[in-house]
Amino acid sequence: MNAPGLKMKDRFRLSRFVFGEKASPDPITLNHRRIFILPTLSGLGFAFLAVLLFFIAFVYNNNPVYLLAFLLAGIFFLATVHTFRTLAGLVIREGHGKPVFAGGTAAFPIHIDNPTPLLRPQVRIEGQPETELALPPDSRNQIFVHRTAARRGWCEAGTITLYSTFPLGLFRAWSPLRFNMKILVYPQPAEAGVPLPPLSAGPNREGTGHQGSDEFYGLKNYSAGDPVRRIHWKAYAKGYGVLSKQYGGGSGGELWLDFDETPGRGTEERLSRLCRWVLEADQAGLRYGLRLPDHRIVPADGALHRQSCLEALALHPL
Amino acid sequence: MKTAAPNQKLQFLLLGTVGLAVLPHYPHLPPLTFGFFAALLGWRLLGVRHPAWLPERRVLFLLLLLGIALLFTERQGIFGRDAGTNLFITALGLKLMEMKRERDSCLIVYMAFVAAATQFLYEQGILFGAYIGLVCCLLLTLLIAMNGLQHPIAQALKLAVIFVLQAAPLAAAMFILFPRLDPPKWLAIGSETRNRTGLSEMLEPGSITNLGLSDELVFRARFDGPLPPPHQRYWRGPVMAATDGKRWVQAQNFERYPKSNPQVSGRPYRYTLLLEPQEKNWVFALDMPAEFSPPLSRNANFQMITSELHGQRAAYKLTSYPDYNTGPLSSAEYRDAIQLPGTPSARVKELVARLHGYDAAPELFIKSLLNHFRRENFRYTLEPPKLDANPIESFLFDTRAGFCSHYASAFVYLMRAAQIPARVVTGYQGGETNEVGNFIQVRQADAHAWAEVWLDRRGWVRYDPTAAVAPERIEYPLDVSRLSPGETIYFESASGEFGKIVSLLKQAGLIWDTVDYGWQRWIINYNGTHQANFLAGFGIKGSRAMLNWLGAILIAATVMLSLAILYRRRRKLDPALRIYVRFCGKLARKGLVKGTGEGAKDFAERVKAALPEHAGEVDGITGIFMNLRYGKRPDPKDIEQLKRRVAAFKP
Repeated sequence: MNAPGLKMKDRFRLSRFVFGEKASPDPITLNHRRIFILPTLSGLGFAFLAVLLFFIAFVYNNNPVYLLAFLLAGIFFLATVHTFRTLAGLVIREGHGKPVFAGGTAAFPIHIDNPTPLLRPQVRIEGQPETELALPPDSRNQIFVHRTAARRGWCEAGTITLYSTFPLGLFRAWSPLRFNMKILVYPQPAEAGVPLPPLSAGPNREGTGHQGSDEFYGLKNYSAGDPVRRIHWKAYAKGYGVLSKQYGGGSGGELWLDFDETPGRGTEERLSRLCRWVLEADQAGLRYGLRLPDHRIVPADGALHRQSCLEALALHPL
Repeated sequence: MKTAAPNQKLQFLLLGTVGLAVLPHYPHLPPLTFGFFAALLGWRLLGVRHPAWLPERRVLFLLLLLGIALLFTERQGIFGRDAGTNLFITALGLKLMEMKRERDSCLIVYMAFVAAATQFLYEQGILFGAYIGLVCCLLLTLLIAMNGLQHPIAQALKLAVIFVLQAAPLAAAMFILFPRLDPPKWLAIGSETRNRTGLSEMLEPGSITNLGLSDELVFRARFDGPLPPPHQRYWRGPVMAATDGKRWVQAQNFERYPKSNPQVSGRPYRYTLLLEPQEKNWVFALDMPAEFSPPLSRNANFQMITSELHGQRAAYKLTSYPDYNTGPLSSAEYRDAIQLPGTPSARVKELVARLHGYDAAPELFIKSLLNHFRRENFRYTLEPPKLDANPIESFLFDTRAGFCSHYASAFVYLMRAAQIPARVVTGYQGGETNEVGNFIQVRQADAHAWAEVWLDRRGWVRYDPTAAVAPERIEYPLDVSRLSPGETIYFESASGEFGKIVSLLKQAGLIWDTVDYGWQRWIINYNGTHQANFLAGFGIKGSRAMLNWLGAILIAATVMLSLAILYRRRRKLDPALRIYVRFCGKLARKGLVKGTGEGAKDFAERVKAALPEHAGEVDGITGIFMNLRYGKRPDPKDIEQLKRRVAAFKP
């Protein structure tokens, strides 16, 4: 549903036509308040055509040409209604997007529902590349709006513009929409090649060390985030359920990824390097911790741990 | 915007439709221009399959030069109907060669619209209108198809037709109410006339032969009351009083005759004359026109003349009286009416004397002369033998075969030989009656010539010597469709099997003519005067009032159409959903409002937390609803259960 009402001042704000109304977490139903319409270049050409025919009719006093000119004018008027109807009544919802690394493409999922019995043959979404879809009656559809994730941090979808020129291409009806949709962008991983810092058992070693990676320590029930390669497949095959092998041991050091000790010029370069190391450490199945100037993550492993490390890197203050 | 050219199928359709739009221009384009266009179109058609065959930039430039050269050699200039059409078609042909992007195709479609519309400057028949309407539907289809390729063409066509039907009321309102003003004089480039056959300004026995065979419509007359009987259907045209023995022309200074108002009597015939485009300003009124209004005027020969000649159909309201007395004859008129080239020959004098031309009252002489035509072996034929230097005498004494001009001119000649003022009147006689539409239509085949004799105390009196020879010619119109040169002439009083078929065909023809008449009356001829008269009937007077009404009607129609289009199919709720909405309504009264994005299950959890005592009912209702709506195999019987449960639910 739309917000209950717009103040007069907001109603005439120019940005409404270009960027859309304030972002809203609710599904948006497209109606006359959200849909704008203007003639396209072809539309202006068509109007000129009608005027030209009218002029010919006038000069030659020719009634059939008058009739034709008026018919085209009527079609021009009606095209506004038809084009408006192509978007009206659609319900747009935001979806949840997956994080990406900087330099990649953030894909924002958008749900476009057509709860009406009308086929919407041509609905386009602005962007690179432009998406065009036909919405069958009573259908739910999902599309992705792509934005280039240039830098780490939060990437916002910004204004998502739906438009249509159906059926004659004379008018363009569009609806600029804004959602609170954000996708987290991790730093771009630096090039591989710089070896991981040495495992340390030093003063920075922290409490839960006995769950390190070196010696087999025991089995526990699998919990989400445990590395796949630690699943005890034999036990699984015998029907004991999914168990995770636990490793521990004194000699097994923990890996501390310390911002201050990371090579690189400037914050961003170091964060990139840390990002690469987090990926490599995770790949290697190491237990690793992360130390940032204002944030510390104790060593652990698994997908969730990896994610929280990457999040910390992504959200490190600029 | 997509920049790719439309696909091949669409290109073929586009080029085909452009061809259809231009095709009817064939008769009015210079052959070179039409050939140039056809060649370019053909080239482009080949180019659809073989894009490499299309001309490159330099060749295009040469083609452009060629087109300009063609226009230049045809010396029509730039302005005016013919020149404009010529220029436009050439440009369209050249544009076809440069159809690279969607925008180009769009422009071509628009140009095709103009090409189709300009046809109406030449031809305005109803069938033609239907043809152009069809072409326009196809052009709209193309616009739709080019804008959304995924459509099957048939669906685009359907949409185009829907568009036209929906726009029709708007167009009709604009057509009726938009004030028809005359274009300013400096814009009057539309006054080119067409070359049409018609009655000629000169009568030379033989010159009407061609006309006698033409099926072309000249005018229609719609009568307010009963139609005049055939023998009164004389439609007056130019009056020929001057002759050199071979030709008859209008008297040189007849315009200077003192004008007189004939005294009319008898039952008046009120009618509307719908005149096809003419190149002369003659209006063929039923003898004797008495009441008329500008732009019509009546000249000294009692012929109707219009001061407006615009190469288009025109309608005039007239009243004529079959009985009239034109009163005395002025001296100039008398001189012209007895003028003869030299003195008549002895043969002629002998004939006049034999028929009591010199020694009896004029009426008697006329009667015996008509009898002479009837009794002697005079023949009516459209293929008379060639007449030599002295056509009247040859006709009277040797060949004795001819048609109306021969009889009328010989009759007048003999009258004058007897010193009786007489003259030849040309015009049309008869016409086909259309019972359905209560009108008479007159074709070129009905062209006729008759005689007028001035008689003391009666004025000019009409005599038709042709009627004496071939009375059927007067009672029945000539059946042109069955006539071929040299054949016996049929008059339409057919009977028997053949007659039945003919009359059936005639019936269909009459209905068609009524439709055609309506088209011409209401579409073609809806000019400023008609509009003013028609709208005055609704109390709408003046251009301003028309525009106000137009605005009001357009707004009302747009609103109604928009509502109809937008809310045509109100959504019918799924019955399960409808019942569920009722359930939600009950909860809403307890302050539990379901959020828009909230699923039924989440909502149920929330309700159960707020109203734990109803948990069972809520779960049951939600479960059935979910199964009905999203389940793999919803059981229709569950609807009843859902209904019962929701009805029993009292939070």
